[in-house]
Amino acid sequence: MSTATAQTSKPRRRWSRQARHEAVSGWAFSLPFFLCFILVFIAPIVSAVRASLFKQQAAGGGLYGNAGGEGGKVDVFVGLENYVVAGTDPEFWKGVGRVMLFGIVQIPIMIGLALALALLLDSFLVRRKTVWRLGYFLPYAIPGLIAAIIWGYLYIPEVSPFADFFPNMEGNPFFLAPSIALWSMANMTTWTYTGYNMLIFLAALQAIPRDLYEAARIDGASGWKITTRIKIPMVSSAALLAVLLSIVGTIQLFNEPTILKKLTTWMPNTYTPMLMAYQTSTGLLTPSGTGPASAISILMALIAGVLAVAYFFAQRKVNQ
Amino acid sequence: MTVPFTRYLKTTALLSVAAVGLTACGGGSTPAATDTPAGSTQSPAAPAEKVEISYMHRLPDGKDMTKVADIVDRWNKENPNIQVTTTKFDGAASEMITRLDTDIAANNGPCLAQLGYGEVPEMFVKGLVMDVTAEAAKYQDQFGGAFGQMSVGGVTVGLPQDSGPLVYMYNEAEFKKLGLEVPTTSAEYADVAKKAAASGKYATVFLPDEAHYWLSGQAAGAGAVWYSAADDKWKVDTSDAGTASVASFWQGVLDDKSALVVKRWSEQWDKALAEGTIIGYTAAAWETGFALDSLDGTPFEGQWRVAQMPKFNDSDKTGPDGGSGVAVMKGCEHPAEAMQFNAWFNTQVDDLASQGLVPAATAVAKMPEKMERQFGGQDVMAELKIANERMSAEWSYIPGFSSVGPKMVEAASAAGAGSGKVADIFTVAKEASIASLKDAGLPVAEG
Repeated sequence: MSTATAQTSKPRRRWSRQARHEAVSGWAFSLPFFLCFILVFIAPIVSAVRASLFKQQAAGGGLYGNAGGEGGKVDVFVGLENYVVAGTDPEFWKGVGRVMLFGIVQIPIMIGLALALALLLDSFLVRRKTVWRLGYFLPYAIPGLIAAIIWGYLYIPEVSPFADFFPNMEGNPFFLAPSIALWSMANMTTWTYTGYNMLIFLAALQAIPRDLYEAARIDGASGWKITTRIKIPMVSSAALLAVLLSIVGTIQLFNEPTILKKLTTWMPNTYTPMLMAYQTSTGLLTPSGTGPASAISILMALIAGVLAVAYFFAQRKVNQ
Repeated sequence: MTVPFTRYLKTTALLSVAAVGLTACGGGSTPAATDTPAGSTQSPAAPAEKVEISYMHRLPDGKDMTKVADIVDRWNKENPNIQVTTTKFDGAASEMITRLDTDIAANNGPCLAQLGYGEVPEMFVKGLVMDVTAEAAKYQDQFGGAFGQMSVGGVTVGLPQDSGPLVYMYNEAEFKKLGLEVPTTSAEYADVAKKAAASGKYATVFLPDEAHYWLSGQAAGAGAVWYSAADDKWKVDTSDAGTASVASFWQGVLDDKSALVVKRWSEQWDKALAEGTIIGYTAAAWETGFALDSLDGTPFEGQWRVAQMPKFNDSDKTGPDGGSGVAVMKGCEHPAEAMQFNAWFNTQVDDLASQGLVPAATAVAKMPEKMERQFGGQDVMAELKIANERMSAEWSYIPGFSSVGPKMVEAASAAGAGSGKVADIFTVAKEASIASLKDAGLPVAEG
């Protein structure tokens, strides 16, 4: 029976064996990826979601929760309580507000600068492009925390070459004053990421076929016209990517406030939501523990997701 | 058919391991309960087999100090059966606790770890430290009053290492030049500060970044006991007379600008000290170990002295600002040997003094050469010993004090900048303490 069917469908069987072979090797090749993906991406998310539903409580009764025995904290299932606590905490929303304000001001400035630099490098005005490209990109290659420390020093009058010229404000050095600090951070972020975003624009610019410019020149277009009518419209999808990445990066604002916090005393542990999540997990904020910290992180992930999707649709509508 | 067989094999294997375990423990406990002290205290003090102990610390290990590794090497040579390995943790205290938390949960934690006294109750509630009450009792007479700081609710978890009573540090030469007397009461302190400020110097400094331990320590010195037990519930009270006297002193010197407001750990501080703007401040005892390092080779070298904290609220006490001990961590397999090393290490007073510590052991440490030079030959250790004896014995911290600290620092920053009041710091401390206790699921008495 089996031999008969095998004989009748011989060509198909050979094809299917090859297909199966391909499928097997395909899966074999992608298996490491999927394993790593599950291990470093899916598993932490699952574990964070699980952790966010629990709260750490003292195990026993009494002053130290030991009730005659040794101390110890137990995980108590609390459902969505951690989300409710974080979501109704005005400090959390103040942090979200700061991050939003930061993003609304900093992202357009940075993207504008990056586009301008990319256009300059792509034009025929600049020589030794590689040097400039590398130069602008270099800040991104410096680890974020190191960059934040360097900027921190530049902001303290005692060691800074320029901060001395600015007056003290609200009892703090100018750049570290409560009303200025957010923009001191924005400056650090802009310095670090402008070169990175410039590379995205530059790649998009170089993908534009050169004969378009030639045709435009023959039609009598000036360099300015070529830039505004051809180059900028053609990199709009790159802009979409750069802005989306920036929105996600802004939500994660952590290094800069962490460093500036060490230089000031007024900055609360809830200054940005990510700082709040970290301090919650290390027990420097109440409520503390992995449960509330995970809930804050997941809430921020949701907010970032909503913002990114909203921006995506808004951008598509504008382009249509 | 094969499945039940392998299961049978596994069961016998487990049983035989368990049997071996049981005999090893003398039948006193089950093998799973290796972390209970009952089984471990029975192991002999000098075991025939080699025991390995790991110890995590955050001592400075700086220049001219006897390195922790060198002290431990000496122990390892003398005690071939109890070998100790040390790890220096370079992050913040809160990060070390998180690290210990995760390591111990993964059964990978060190046997001994350095903990601040304010962190001990917290670690206990988290279940990260071991009950070594019986072991610790053997060594109690080698330690002073700080022994109690390593106990939580009647359970001792380790031995004290150093203490940080608040003292007053001042520049004697500058004081003479300005005709100032060392203050002995808060009123004199305010007066001295005012006179110094009139000549552009500061005899007192308000340190917002140290507010949590620094100001609570001053309140303790003024007789305050913020945390007490009533009917097996926590009672939090920061509205006592002692705390109020601390608040009114600082509000006074801030209002008439006779206190310099500066972060203790900042470039501004270093600059003000090096320029001689700061001529006196309320310091933790352990600061004597390194605070004046930047004055070496300057005209100010050897001019500073240590005195007792001025009396606040007529209380003849001082309070704690920092200080730490070495606790036995949950999961340590040889707590008895760990405690043997712990007692030895914490009584190496000369070595510990070289690390800038004020040892909690009763043995008086020899003055390090550096300290003798920086303090113009004053017997600083003797002065600090007096401060240690004056330390408030009633004062203790709640579990979760580390989340109270940042709130106090924020409020202190506002008070220093003039946008808040010093009294707010203590109101905030009370609110944050109650919130922290409730969050941990511990009972709080209202009112």
